[in-house]
Amino acid sequence: MTISITDREMLEKPQDSEVVLSVSGVSKKFCRDLKRSLFYGVRDIAGELVGLREKSETLRAKEFWALKDVSFELRRGEALGLVGKNGSGKSTLLRIIAGLIKPDTGSVKVKGRIAPLIALGAGFNPILTGRENVYANMSILGLSKKEINERFDEVIEFAEIGDAIDAPVQTYSSGMAARLGFASAIHTEPDILLIDEVLAVGDIKFQSKCHRKLSELRQQGTSFILVSHNSQIVLGVCDIAVYLCKGQQLQFGDIYSVIFQYERDLFPNNYEQELGTLSRPEKIPSESNGLDIIYLSFKDFQDRQIKSIVSGQAVDLCIGCKVHKPLSNIITRINFYETNSGSSPIQFLSNYNDKKKIDLPEGEHEIIIQMPYFCFKPGIYQIKIVVRNNALFTLDHVESFRFQVDSNGSMTSCEFYQPHSWKILSY
Amino acid sequence: MGRLKKLQQAVTTERNATWVVYTPESQLRHPVRLLRTMWRDLLASRELAWRLLVRDISAKYRQSFLGIIWAFIPPIVTAAGFTLAKSGGVVNVGNTDLPYPAYVMFSMALWQTFVEALNGPVQGVAEAKAMLARINFPREAIILAKLGEIFFNFGIKLILILGLFIWFKMPVTWSIILAPVALIHLVMLGTFLGLLLAPVGGLYKDFSMGITLATGLWLFLTPVVFPVPSGEGVFGTIVKFNPVTPLLVTTRELATTGVISDPVGFWIVSGIALGGLIFAWIVYRLAMPFVIERISS
Repeated sequence: MTISITDREMLEKPQDSEVVLSVSGVSKKFCRDLKRSLFYGVRDIAGELVGLREKSETLRAKEFWALKDVSFELRRGEALGLVGKNGSGKSTLLRIIAGLIKPDTGSVKVKGRIAPLIALGAGFNPILTGRENVYANMSILGLSKKEINERFDEVIEFAEIGDAIDAPVQTYSSGMAARLGFASAIHTEPDILLIDEVLAVGDIKFQSKCHRKLSELRQQGTSFILVSHNSQIVLGVCDIAVYLCKGQQLQFGDIYSVIFQYERDLFPNNYEQELGTLSRPEKIPSESNGLDIIYLSFKDFQDRQIKSIVSGQAVDLCIGCKVHKPLSNIITRINFYETNSGSSPIQFLSNYNDKKKIDLPEGEHEIIIQMPYFCFKPGIYQIKIVVRNNALFTLDHVESFRFQVDSNGSMTSCEFYQPHSWKILSY
Repeated sequence: MGRLKKLQQAVTTERNATWVVYTPESQLRHPVRLLRTMWRDLLASRELAWRLLVRDISAKYRQSFLGIIWAFIPPIVTAAGFTLAKSGGVVNVGNTDLPYPAYVMFSMALWQTFVEALNGPVQGVAEAKAMLARINFPREAIILAKLGEIFFNFGIKLILILGLFIWFKMPVTWSIILAPVALIHLVMLGTFLGLLLAPVGGLYKDFSMGITLATGLWLFLTPVVFPVPSGEGVFGTIVKFNPVTPLLVTTRELATTGVISDPVGFWIVSGIALGGLIFAWIVYRLAMPFVIERISS
């Protein structure tokens, strides 16, 4: 299925920035049988050498479409997320865009320099020092010696390597090597940056630094293509997205609608969801682990169900669940995420941490988390809920439950709501 | 201020940026564009090739105890072996115009350089696989770096050769100045063959194994441990039509006696080597995307 003409017209709303990458009708064939694949390789080379090769629409024996008819455009300063399950053709598409392999049909047009962030430490030689490796790695990425000299200090500082820069890379910890690779790749300052599942490098501090650097680059006009199967990261960075499934382009457009469809396909029994409420059909006994979450909702202090929360008000988060056999020591873990930034949660609640023991007999129950002041600032948030038994066995989980927080009228310059009151003492 | 300047630079590069298009059709359909990008990539890959060369050489010697001595050992061992065998009457080779140990050592150094040139591209592609599969850099850089390594190694062998000339008090003529030209032609021939095999060698392991086997046999069809045979027999004919013979022999003759025995053969093979090198370069460029597609996914 490709996007229809009307969809496309909707997408190409007038924008002042120019197109830097245009992918149209790109397909690619692959073969899983190694011997045959090598033989096809030789045949393709022969076809290329006699100049006969052109687009090929038919599959040979044991071949399949790794990509089929993918089209999209990327503008200056835009960030595009490429989502899909493993093996859906995301990395293949990136490699075609990078010019590493040729498409079988269609064409890719690129303006400006493309740099891959897929190549963390490619060409790192363990014997050589970090310094020598940075020079080699950055020249592979296309920089001249002068350009590397200019950026060298910045790279070292970013990677937080310090004096270890003159020690052989084989003495580095894996995190240090990855940081150094990331730092040298990100400092090549390309027009289009291809990022393949690498934002999970290093500790949380380094990750947030990477996110900051990426947004800085974007403000300078760098465009991104970010590949991930983690929708959290994609939501945090991108404005538009392409959804691939088995090589087919299922959707191209606004990030929220694409991610929504992706998650619905990924966790089919999770939704129908609208903002602020979620209800799930009952599981069949063979899929159940003894406890099923059947609904999630918010209630205000008068016990009325609400669709959105107002900053600073009291709210109860209600987890409706059906228990099939008596359970003791249930652990409920709730992660809150902000949809527009990073991948780390901004709040984490667990009855285990709060030393609240939960035992549930058979039947339907509602677990209520009472929050007398909801302190988040206005915006869209997500919750991930995992219910476990004995810390290791997952009874049920909700991957993503989205809700909205509205302003109470005085939250324009605040990061969070501070419960407070005024008082005057006169003497 | 610095940021403003950077921004202005960015704007100028933006104006200069042109569209790069990737399509399925063969690049041979646009020969002018192909040649232009080949030339551009060759120029662009010089600096990278230098980096790779420095990286490879320093990594190689940092992990070795004997270091550059490894460049001397093979010719010395071969020469010692054959000198012993010859003096013991085990092998019967004709008389050489140079002292026999010097003859073998010098020829062996030249032969080794040829074999390195032949192996260079296949090895280079194999070593750079991970990089090739991930980054689109000028593919010429790998080959240039390997060529640099060959000349670096020859430079070390030159110390040995210099020692030979002094030790055996060999006469030197002015023609020695021309010897590097012939050596370059020898390297060109090796690179031509190696470059032609590099893409398929990236796909099938058979080729690197085959090259090792072939060069072992080839050594004995080339006047390295024996003088150029004068006979018209089968062996003599094979040696005569062996393309390495005129190049290697001419290099040796220019460096020592100054009398070139087969100038016609030298120029014919040199022509083939140069034309072949350009042909192999085109093949290499066109074939690499398909190799990369198959070696990694």
